[in-house]
Amino acid sequence: MSTALDSSAVEVAPALEAVGVSKHFDGVFALNGAQLSVQPGEIHALLGENGAGKSTLIKVVTGLYAPDEGQIRRNGETVAFANVRAAHGAGVVALYQELSIVPTVSVAENILLGAETPSRGGVVSWGRLNKRAGEQLARLNQRIPLKKLAGELSPVQQTMVAVARALATDARVLILDEPTAALTDTEITDLFTVLRRLRDEGVAIVYVSHRLEEVFELCDRLTVMRNGETIVTRTIAETNIDEVISTMVGRPHGLMYPARDTATSEVVIEVDGLTGSRVQDVSFRAHAGEVLGVGGLAGSGRSELLRLLAGAQKQTSGDITVAGNTLRHAGGVGRALEAGIALVPEERRSQGVILGDSIQDNIAVANIPTVSRAGWVNNRAIARIARSALSDLQIKARGPRQAVGQLSGGNQQKVVLAKMLSRKPKVLLMDEPTRGIDVGTKAEIYRLIRRLAASGTTVIAVSSELPELIGMSDRILIMHQGRISGEVQAADADEEILLSYAYGRTA
Amino acid sequence: MAQTEAPPVVAPATPSDRTSFTALLWQGGTLLALVVLVILFGALQPDAFLSFGNVRNILAQIAILAIIASAQTVVMVVGDFDLSVGVTATLAGATAAALMIDGWSIPLAIVAALVVGTLVGVVNGILVAYMNLSAFVATLATLTSVGGLAFIVTDGTTLFGMPESFEVIGQGRPLGLPLPIFFAVIVCVVVWLVLKFTTIGRRWYAVGGSAEVARLSGVNVRLARFLAFTVAGFVSAIGGIILVSRLASASATSANNYMLLAVAAVFLGMTVLRSGAANVGGTLVGVGIIGVMSNGLNIVGVSAYFQQVFTGLIIIAAVTLSALKSRSH
Repeated sequence: MSTALDSSAVEVAPALEAVGVSKHFDGVFALNGAQLSVQPGEIHALLGENGAGKSTLIKVVTGLYAPDEGQIRRNGETVAFANVRAAHGAGVVALYQELSIVPTVSVAENILLGAETPSRGGVVSWGRLNKRAGEQLARLNQRIPLKKLAGELSPVQQTMVAVARALATDARVLILDEPTAALTDTEITDLFTVLRRLRDEGVAIVYVSHRLEEVFELCDRLTVMRNGETIVTRTIAETNIDEVISTMVGRPHGLMYPARDTATSEVVIEVDGLTGSRVQDVSFRAHAGEVLGVGGLAGSGRSELLRLLAGAQKQTSGDITVAGNTLRHAGGVGRALEAGIALVPEERRSQGVILGDSIQDNIAVANIPTVSRAGWVNNRAIARIARSALSDLQIKARGPRQAVGQLSGGNQQKVVLAKMLSRKPKVLLMDEPTRGIDVGTKAEIYRLIRRLAASGTTVIAVSSELPELIGMSDRILIMHQGRISGEVQAADADEEILLSYAYGRTA
Repeated sequence: MAQTEAPPVVAPATPSDRTSFTALLWQGGTLLALVVLVILFGALQPDAFLSFGNVRNILAQIAILAIIASAQTVVMVVGDFDLSVGVTATLAGATAAALMIDGWSIPLAIVAALVVGTLVGVVNGILVAYMNLSAFVATLATLTSVGGLAFIVTDGTTLFGMPESFEVIGQGRPLGLPLPIFFAVIVCVVVWLVLKFTTIGRRWYAVGGSAEVARLSGVNVRLARFLAFTVAGFVSAIGGIILVSRLASASATSANNYMLLAVAAVFLGMTVLRSGAANVGGTLVGVGIIGVMSNGLNIVGVSAYFQQVFTGLIIIAAVTLSALKSRSH
């Protein structure tokens, strides 16, 4: 089955193996009998949509979570890592994009962070420390000044430092989570060279990425997960991108998205020359019943655009006109809500819901002005709004008093939606509306968005997932470096054209 | 399209939120501690501890702490805390005393003292909410400066010789109960009503739950935090005025000790609610524990120094238990 691997690799026990691993949180399965088997000397892609269980699986094999069921095996032997240190000790190391380096100490110290610091009588011997750190970088064929602060490095150099550190602790299984998200094309090539070199030295590499082209260029095998289960493991030669996508989604493309038939020609929001942090001179109109998608690479200003519209961020110039009312210099979120603009923010857990509070209290936060008279809150009105939200949005909860932290990600997202919809917005802004949500709830959210559009609401939604952007929108704006670099009707859009706009190539 | 193959997402009831006996014990642990303390001291010294006179005494002793602790509760609801509540009470009391001795009328002196306390709160509020200082740094600074002002107002001496009718506030006994108890009940009920039923109370709790979520939901977070500190300054001043009246004198440090006890009471009270939020009911349980312990240990004959040691231990025990509780969820 593994034509792409050299034959010696197949005979030895897997460097890392997860067998029938299950893990659930508050009654929700994050992993359900997941399998993963990685050979020494291979680069193995771990694929799946957001919420498929990839991150949870990584956390289980690196000792961050204990599995409820199933086993982890290292070189064929069953292991139970009590914590991340134990996993490190066994040579299993995960690198996360943002948390991997300490920006305020030198490159050399970063590289030897997990290893024993060379010292004499408790005093650090800098000569030996720099020498040993230098050896690790040399192994990667990297020239990075050892005494520089790690925070001053470019993203790819930081990744290299993180890789060097893993090697310094003698990592034999290296797990990389979206390592290329912040890298340029040439930097990606450099990283791939290093990863191939490590593979040839016999290191087992697990490569998590949403960029399928990269996976097909770099990896030897891939495993696709969906809903916490492992769906398939294949060699790269046996499969192709289309097959992988439909395996990830679990159904042929398109069925998930409801028909687009609700847009009208009535302009609801008009944005003229909007400028603020990371957003440059953006102008567009959106109509009643329209779902306007906004795409672009991370850092292109797409989230900031929504935040400006919602009053969550200060605008420096430009006009926002909603149903005839011009909001100059949007006076905070409260004013934007009054004008009919509501935002479902990107980070659900830190921006969307108060996890310790009940569903009812969460919904109340956005409704304080609407359910009060002379400073007194009508608690019964809040309870009424919460109860109708539970049934309208089919939120799976025991009742309006259940703490939001106990709900699944999808139901938490519905609570955020309920909170904002209770203000009856004319324009609903959604930043990554389905991030970290299982496939079933995703489809529900898409239907809900279309239902809102059908009732005349304008929905403006940012998404980093191109199929989602195409599937849910009527029209798509693509941003590049703070400006709108392209506009397409979703019916005519394909991923290629969206990506070329996202990279600033005007077609 | 409706029949997706997604697995059932939510189990009907997670084991962790069934109300078991142990869960109840955790939840009611702090209240239980109060009851145990009362029973313990009652058993040790039944005649002295449980007499009407002593119960009245305890209530009188904790009345002012209850007022200052409810000021602290408001600030802790928004997720900050205020180190200056004690000195603010001191300064307000000293101001009232000094003005009355100077010949101001009683109502005018009281109003001036309330204004002074409120102004301290306003300064704290501006520093924390609008100048983005951490509450710790800002209120530590005002604690220092306001403490100095109290020395200036009193000239470092103990002021006395206020009009006798002023002393009624702290020493009057309608229905045989000390008047400060009635003031404490009124203040606590008002704070409770505001926290529970008004828009600003809702906003305070939302900001304390998550300032970012509150902001993105349209709450003016800066204003909410500013008002919390302002209210705390005002309420602390009430406590300070009553204290001066009860003691019939004002010194430069008379109410300073109440700050730590108030923080302790609120922390104890936060363990009462499942969400771990500050709340007036819980704060009163905390005030009760501190008052009963101090009075009981006194009657049993334990020195004041040991009382302080025990208060610290009780706080550690209560907060550790509630941390264990939240971990088990």
